[in-house]
Amino acid sequence: MGLFERVFRGSDEMYFKAETEVNAVIAELGEDAPMTMPDTAYFLACIYAYLGKKITTLGELKAVLTDIRAMMTRENRTKSIFTSGIATAMAAEVIEACKYARTATPYEGTQYHGHFSDAEVRELGVPLVTRDIPGFVVMIGAAPSVEEAVETVKGYQSRGIFVFMIGGIIDQVHEAGVTTGFGVRCVPVGPDIWSVGHVISLVTRATMIFGATEPGDYDAFNEYTMQRIFAFVNAYAPVDDITVACGAGAIKMGFPVITNDTDDMWAVPKSLIINTNTKDWIDTSLEARDIKIKVTNIDIPVAFSSAYEGEIIRKKDMQIEMDGSRVDCVELVRTKEAHEIEDHSITLEGPDFDQFEVGAKIPIAYIVEVAGKTMQSDFEGVFERKFHSFLNCIEGVMHTGQRDMIRIRVSKASYEAGFRAKHIGEVLYAKIKSEYDTVVDKCQVKIYTDPEKVKELRAEANHIFDQRDERLKSMTDESVDVFYTCILCQAFSPSHVCIVTPERLGLCGAVSWLDAKATNELDPNGPCQIVTKTRMIDERTGRYEDVNEAVNQYSHGALEQVTLYSILEDPMTSCGCFECICGIEPLSNGVVIVNREHVGMTPLGMSFSEMASMTGGGVQTPGFMGHGKHFISSKKFLKAEGGPARIVWLPKALKEQIREKLNETAHELYGIDNFADMIADETITEDPEELLNFLTEQNHPVLGMDPLL
Amino acid sequence: MSDINTTFITIEQMEAATDALLENGKKVGADSWQQRVKNQTPHCKFGEEGICCRICSMGPCRITPKAPRGICGCDADGIVGRNYLRFTAGGAATHSDHGRSIAHTLYLAKEGGNYQVKDPEKLIRIAKEWDIETENRDIYDIAHEVAETGLLEYGKPFGVQRFLKRAPEARQEIWHREGIEPRAIDREVSQSMHMTHMGCSSLPEALVRQSLRAGLSDGWGGSMMGTELSDVLFGTPKPVDTTANIGVMEEDMVNIIVHGHDPSLSEMIVYYSQDPEMVALAKEMGAKGINIAGVCCTANEVAMRHGIPMAGNFLQQENVVLTGACEAIVVDVQCIFPALGPLSKCFHTKFITTSPIAQMPDSDFIEFHEENAGENAKKIIELAIRNFKNRRPELVNIPKLKTNATVGYSVEAIKKCLDGVTNSHVDELGTTKPLIDCVKSGVLRGAVAMVGCNNPKVRPDYAHINLMKKLIANDIIVIVSGCSAQAAAKAGLMSKEAKNLCGEGLKRVCELVDIPPILHMGSCVDISRMMILAADIAKDWGLDICQVPVVGCAPEWMSEKAVSIGNYVVATGIDTFLGVDPYTKGGPKVAGLLQGTIKDWVGANYTVEHDIEKLGDLMIERIEEKRAALGI
Repeated sequence: MGLFERVFRGSDEMYFKAETEVNAVIAELGEDAPMTMPDTAYFLACIYAYLGKKITTLGELKAVLTDIRAMMTRENRTKSIFTSGIATAMAAEVIEACKYARTATPYEGTQYHGHFSDAEVRELGVPLVTRDIPGFVVMIGAAPSVEEAVETVKGYQSRGIFVFMIGGIIDQVHEAGVTTGFGVRCVPVGPDIWSVGHVISLVTRATMIFGATEPGDYDAFNEYTMQRIFAFVNAYAPVDDITVACGAGAIKMGFPVITNDTDDMWAVPKSLIINTNTKDWIDTSLEARDIKIKVTNIDIPVAFSSAYEGEIIRKKDMQIEMDGSRVDCVELVRTKEAHEIEDHSITLEGPDFDQFEVGAKIPIAYIVEVAGKTMQSDFEGVFERKFHSFLNCIEGVMHTGQRDMIRIRVSKASYEAGFRAKHIGEVLYAKIKSEYDTVVDKCQVKIYTDPEKVKELRAEANHIFDQRDERLKSMTDESVDVFYTCILCQAFSPSHVCIVTPERLGLCGAVSWLDAKATNELDPNGPCQIVTKTRMIDERTGRYEDVNEAVNQYSHGALEQVTLYSILEDPMTSCGCFECICGIEPLSNGVVIVNREHVGMTPLGMSFSEMASMTGGGVQTPGFMGHGKHFISSKKFLKAEGGPARIVWLPKALKEQIREKLNETAHELYGIDNFADMIADETITEDPEELLNFLTEQNHPVLGMDPLL
Repeated sequence: MSDINTTFITIEQMEAATDALLENGKKVGADSWQQRVKNQTPHCKFGEEGICCRICSMGPCRITPKAPRGICGCDADGIVGRNYLRFTAGGAATHSDHGRSIAHTLYLAKEGGNYQVKDPEKLIRIAKEWDIETENRDIYDIAHEVAETGLLEYGKPFGVQRFLKRAPEARQEIWHREGIEPRAIDREVSQSMHMTHMGCSSLPEALVRQSLRAGLSDGWGGSMMGTELSDVLFGTPKPVDTTANIGVMEEDMVNIIVHGHDPSLSEMIVYYSQDPEMVALAKEMGAKGINIAGVCCTANEVAMRHGIPMAGNFLQQENVVLTGACEAIVVDVQCIFPALGPLSKCFHTKFITTSPIAQMPDSDFIEFHEENAGENAKKIIELAIRNFKNRRPELVNIPKLKTNATVGYSVEAIKKCLDGVTNSHVDELGTTKPLIDCVKSGVLRGAVAMVGCNNPKVRPDYAHINLMKKLIANDIIVIVSGCSAQAAAKAGLMSKEAKNLCGEGLKRVCELVDIPPILHMGSCVDISRMMILAADIAKDWGLDICQVPVVGCAPEWMSEKAVSIGNYVVATGIDTFLGVDPYTKGGPKVAGLLQGTIKDWVGANYTVEHDIEKLGDLMIERIEEKRAALGI
C-alpha cells in the first residue's frame, strides 16, 4: 500500500474515533457542557492554532469536527497528506479532550502525564533558547527490548533532548525503574497514539507564546515549528496507519520520523527515515533534524546532561548531604594572577565522600580560582550563579541555593558509580573553561571538607559577599554608563528585545546586568549589545532615544519605542518565558503579579496562563508586562506609575521569596514598614471586592494614589 | 512597469516591455520578427504538412488528393518521412559539430594557454571510461588523447558510440535489438542524407528508425561530447546566482551581448572583460565598467559557469539591440537572426560575427581561432568600449525587468545537492536515490524535462512559463535547458522563492535540498546531461528509463536541432510532448509511427498538442500512468 493511502486510512481511523468519543461524551454531559483543558489559556491549543477556533463547550467540539474532516482531503498530492496529518493531530486532541470534559485530572493515579500546563510550556523557553534543550523526541511504541528502551531514552537525556513517550516504551522504562516526569525531561505522555495530541498542543502553544503566531494562521504555525522547534519522532515497529497519519502531520510541522518498520513504509529524505538498526537511532535522528550537540567531555563516572537538572534526590536514595543550614558550606569564585594558578589543578583538603557514613551531613567549601587577561572581579558572581545549573546537570547530584546557603545531595547510585568530591571540581573546571573561555585562561578548583578550614573559609567568603552586595546595591540605572540588549530569545521570539539594566534584569530572570555585561565581553557580536543612555527623553518613565534606537534595530523594526519603568506607556515586550506576569487590577488601581509556578486564580479572574497569554512574542500590551522576580523589589518597578506600592496581590510563595527586599524598598521609598503584609495573596482572597476590603483594612498606600487608567 | 529585481515577472509585463522596445525601433525604422511573421502569414500549407518535395529537380512535387504521388511515385508518407529524417540530420550535424569544435579546443589546450583544463577530475573520469591511461601522465597528455579519441567518434569505421555504455543495460539492449545504436556520428548524418537522396528510402519505418539513430548519434554522441568536454575545459557547472531578463543590461556600462552556442568564444570575452586594462579603458570612455550579458544558449553557458546575467532567449535577440544600449552583440554559431545585421545598423550597435560557420551580411567578421582567442577577445571588447560614445541617449530604453535565478545544476551538482539530504546512517552518497525516494513515496509525482526554443507560432514564453507553473504546482520537478531555461529565469521561476508556487511536496523538497523547483541544466547540447541523469536514476532505481515517471517537453520548439533532440529523447525511453507539429501531419503513417508505434520499439513516443493547457494535463496524466504501472 502506498504512503498516501496509509495516511488517508490512518486519518480516517483517528477521525472516526474522535467522532465516536465526542458523541459519547455529549450523550453523557450534553452539548452545553463546558470543554476546558486545565491550566491553559489556549483552549484546545491545536484547534485554536490551526483553525483559530476557541472551543469552550462540547457542542463547539462537535461542530469543529466538520472543519477537521474538511482538511482530510484525498488528492494524490503531498498537500493532502499534510493537511490530513495536521487534521489527524487535531482529531487526536479531540479524543484526549473528551477525557478532560469528564474530569480535570483523567490521568491521576496512572503512570501518564497527559495534558501539559501553560506553565510547563513556558518553562521550556529559557532552556530552548540557551540550547540546554537542543531538541525534542517523541518516542512511540515499544523498543525491541527493555534494555534498549532504557539505553535510548537515557542516551537522549544525556544529550539534553527532551523525551516524550507514547505507548509501549513507557511500560519498558518504568519496568526498568527509570525516573520519569517533566522535571527530568522525560515524560510518559499517554498509552495511546492519540495522546500525541498533548505533545502537539504543547508545540502549538510554544509557537503562540514565543512566536506571537496568530491563531488560525496555518502556514505561520508550520513555518515556525519547522524553523524553530527542533523536534523529531521515533516510531518503533509495528507502525500502524494511524501512526503513519500522525507522522504526516509531524513531517508537515518539520519534524522527521525515524522508524524501523519496513512493511509498506516509504523513505522520504530528511523526513521519513527507515533505519532497522534501532541502536543507531539517536545519531540518525539528530542528523535528520540537524541537531548538533555541544559535547562537554567531563571526566566523571556518571552522566552529565541538562536532562538531570530537575532531578530530585530523596533521602532514602541519598549517600551524603552538604547542607549549609546545618553545617558550614560555601561556594566561591576568586580572581587570581595567572602565575598563582595551575590550570586544571583540583585539590581536596579533608576526607573524601567515602570516609563518611551513609546519610551524613558534611561541610564543604569549593573555591574556583580563575585568571585571565580580560577577567573582571564583577564576573565572579556571574560564574557563581551558574554553579547551580552546572552541578545539577550531574546525574545523581542535586544542588540548591547559593553562596553559603547551599545544599547538595549525592545519590547512592552515583556514589556507587564512583562519584567523589574531586568530581565536583572536574565539573566546575570543565564548565567554566568551556562557557567562559574568552575571559578565563586558567582555572583551578580547591575543595575542602575539613570542618575547621571550611568554617574559616566561610567567614572569609561572607566578607567578600558583603563587599559584593555593597557594590551591587550602589549599582543603579543612574550609576552605570550603559545598558545592554538581550536578544538570546530571538531564535524563538524573533521580534522581542530585552533591555537589561542594573535595576531591571531580564524578564526570564536569567540575565542580570552583570550577566549581560559578561556575555558582551565574552562574545562582542553576541546577543548582548551595549546600549548607550546619553539621550534621555523622560526620566519618569525611563524613556531614552538610545534605547528606542536599539529596540528598533534589534527587533528589525517591529518595535519603535519602549520605556524601562512603565507598564502603561510603551511597556517593554516579552518573549514569553517571563518568570512573572503583572497586570492591572482596576478596582484597586493596583497591580496583580503572578509567577509561573502558581497554578491558582488571581483577583483578575485570570490564571497565570491566561494573563501570560495577553502578552509575549515581542508584542506590546499596555497593562500587562512580563518580568523577572527580582524586578519586583526594585525601586524602578512601575516607577512611572508610583512604584512597588502599586502591588496589591502576590502568590504567597512568591511574596515570601521577595519579602525582605520588598520591605526594604518600601521602607526607603515610602517609609512604610512590613509592606509585604499589606499585599494580599491566595490565602487571603482571590476576589476583587474582598481584595479591596483587605487593602482598606491594611491601609494599603495604593488607595491614596492617582487612578491608573 | 515593474521595479527592478521583482521576484516574479509575468508574460504580460514582458510583452509590455517588448512593445516599448518595438516603439523604440519604430523611431529608427527598424524591422522586427513580429513584422516578418505578419509578412510570412499564412505559411505554405504543403510545407507545414511536410508534403512538399524538392529533393530532385523533377519537382518540386506537392501532394494533393488529386496528385497523391510525386513524379518519382513517392507517396505522402515517403516525402514526409524523408523530410523528417533530413530535418533530424540537420540538427544532429549542428549539435555534433559544436561538440567537435569543443573537442578541437580541448586538443589545443595547454598549460598557460588560452584554453586550459579546468576540471581535471572529470577529464580523468572520462579517460578511464574510455580506457585511456591516466596514471603518471601529464594532464594535458591525457586531455589530448581524450580529445583525439572523442574526435574519432565522428568518423571511426567500426563500432558504436562510446557513451552508450552509460545507459542502463536494458536500454542498451533495446537500442541493439531495434538496430538503432549509433555508429560514427558523421556516418549517421551521411547515411541520413544518403537514405533521403532521390531514389533511396521511402519506407516510413526505415526513415523513422534512421531518424532515431541519427538523433541518438547526437544525444549520446556529439552533444554529450560537447557537454562533457566543455566541462573539462571550462569547469563543471555548480549552483551559482545570477540575474535574468532585459533589465540586466546596464545603462551606464558598456553592454556586450554574447549570443549563440559555443562557449569557446564567450569564455574568452568574459575573461577579458575583467581585464584591468579593459575596465580602465571603459572608464576612460565614460562608462562605469563593462557588462557582459547573454542571449540564447551562450547565455546559458556563461551563466552557469560564471553567473553572467541572461538578457533573454531566442526571440529576444532583437530586443537587446532595441534597447539602444548594446555596444556590441558578439555571436558564434546557431540560432542567430540574420536580421541582426540590418537592425544593428539602425543603432550604434556593432554586430560581430566570429565563426566561419555563421557568416552574415552587415556584420563585422572577426574570425575566432583557438590560437588567437585571447587576442581576438580583447579586440572585440575594445571595439565595443570605443563604441560606447556612439550611443544615442534619446534611444536608450532598458525596461526595468530583472529577476534573480540560481543556475548551474549539472548532474554532478544535482547529486551533490541530494547528498545534502541523505542520512549518513542509512544512505549512500553520490546517487540519485533521495530523488527516487521522493518520487516513490509520492511526495514528488515525477519529473519533466522542459527544453527547446521559442516559436512565434506559440505566444513566446507563454507555453514554457505556464506549463512550468502548472507542473510545479502539481509536485512535478522540472529540469530545463536552452531557451526554456531562460524563459523560467526571466519569469523568476529559477529563484529559490519559486518554491512558493509549488505544491507542498515539491516545496518541501526545495526547502530541504535548497534548490529552486526548476533546475537549470545548461544549454541545448546539455540535454545530454538530462539523458545521463535519467540513466542514473533508472540505474539507481533498478529500472529501464522508460519506466521512470519522467517525460520530455518542447512546447515552443523551432529548430532542426530540436527534432534531433526529440528523437534521441524518445529513443532513450522518455515520452516527449510537443507544442508545435514537426511537419508530419501530411504523412499519417509517419505521424502514426512517431506518435504511436515507436512505443513498441523504444518504450516511448511523441504527443503533439497545440492546446498548452491540454499538453500539461497530458503530461501529468502520463506521469501518473507510469506511477500506476510501477505500483506507486
